[in-house]
Amino acid sequence: MKVREIMTRDLTAVERDVPVRELIFILENAEMPNMPVVDDDGQLIGFISEKDLIRAALPGYFELLHSASFIPDMNQLSTKLMQIADDPIEKYMRREVHYVTEDDDDLRAADLVIRQGVKNLPVVDAEKRLVGRVRRIDLLRYLL
Amino acid sequence: MIITVTLNPAVDKIYWVEHLRICEVTEEEFLTRALRSATSAGGKGVNMSVFLSGMGMENVAMGFVGGHTGHVVVRDLRDRGVTTNFIWTREETRTNITVLEKGRENVPLFIGEAGGGVTPLELDRFLRRYRRMVGRAEWVVLAGSVPPGVDPGIYRELASLAQAAGAKVVLSAGGEPLVQTFEACPYLVKPDTREHRELLGIDLASREKIIEAGRHITSCGAQMVVISHQVTGDIAVTRDAVWEIRTPVRTAEFRNLVGADDVFLGGILFRLVQNDPVEEALRFGLAAGLASAESEEKVCVDLRRIEAEMEKVTAERIEREGT
Repeated sequence: MKVREIMTRDLTAVERDVPVRELIFILENAEMPNMPVVDDDGQLIGFISEKDLIRAALPGYFELLHSASFIPDMNQLSTKLMQIADDPIEKYMRREVHYVTEDDDDLRAADLVIRQGVKNLPVVDAEKRLVGRVRRIDLLRYLL
Repeated sequence: MIITVTLNPAVDKIYWVEHLRICEVTEEEFLTRALRSATSAGGKGVNMSVFLSGMGMENVAMGFVGGHTGHVVVRDLRDRGVTTNFIWTREETRTNITVLEKGRENVPLFIGEAGGGVTPLELDRFLRRYRRMVGRAEWVVLAGSVPPGVDPGIYRELASLAQAAGAKVVLSAGGEPLVQTFEACPYLVKPDTREHRELLGIDLASREKIIEAGRHITSCGAQMVVISHQVTGDIAVTRDAVWEIRTPVRTAEFRNLVGADDVFLGGILFRLVQNDPVEEALRFGLAAGLASAESEEKVCVDLRRIEAEMEKVTAERIEREGT
């Protein structure tokens, strides 16, 4: 099975200069835990997730995030988030992006989703332009 | 690639009822129970996207969505094979309600919401994404109403951007968005005359008046204008001819008119994209619209059925240039 047969054909993405505040609105409303970052040609240039925002706000605690008890005070997270709310997301996005193409095998997509622990994997065309995404749920639905 | 733009999409909620009771006096019980109902993504461009996708033609639907109903629109489009590229807004996507009474499906009760507003920031985000997309498009469809808060001249700007990128523009709108855009020379114009049978100050009461209005629009640069004449017929004015497309099908046979007009335009576009002659595109379009109107499903994508409907449709060239 090829990626094109299981992917979700959605082009929701953000540009690198979108403020963190706006990204949070989009992530919440589009119900996506992460978002591809594209340039003005639609080419994939980065990736940013809720985790990246928490890492940006509380870098010292990020590795301990499996337990919120390590965060001494939620106000600290709130204050830090407000400080970075108007920053462009390119300050915090990951430039090394894992992606697949429409012609890749489902196995490659599954491998990346499992090994990288991501819920969404961008799908690009031959010019590396975003054409959709493979969601972890797409793979589960397909495998069932 | 084909892009459809629906700035003010909707959730279409259709109810089928045995008898629609509209009380004139207060009664204890005024419940009308639905026999069944259907929920789908709606809006002119959205309906065209669904049709094109059903015909196997890849396309991208763009516009604004918001809230729970926005998710309903996006989810339905994806399930029908349409690529989605919407901007999420703070306001919820509108819902349009149609009630079809048994035996009177050809005269539905329709309640349409105005739609939520769009902020300048959301519009800026849309324009940026639109500029990114039109460079990859051969055809761009601009269809439906403009949401509150958006300048009615928006389609003119979108049409100009698309044409500058080399794409042909199809415009399906009414009122001020239509008036402000047809001078931007869209390739194909389908005026929405559902609320007012008037166009550019011309009362569309007769075939002659429709042709006059159509010629005015083609003189401004459009290649083709398609205007509803009767429910089962349309007039198409091109630069060098006038076509009348008709079917003898009785309106009493219609089962669901919601979206049929959009499927009609989608059918024309489907054939124009394949460089088919205008006559064939018009006949296929009306056949597709008929197939949808005669089925309970909002958008009929059964190609065999559409081709069978073509047997009932005629396209007569009634005037040449200068006649």
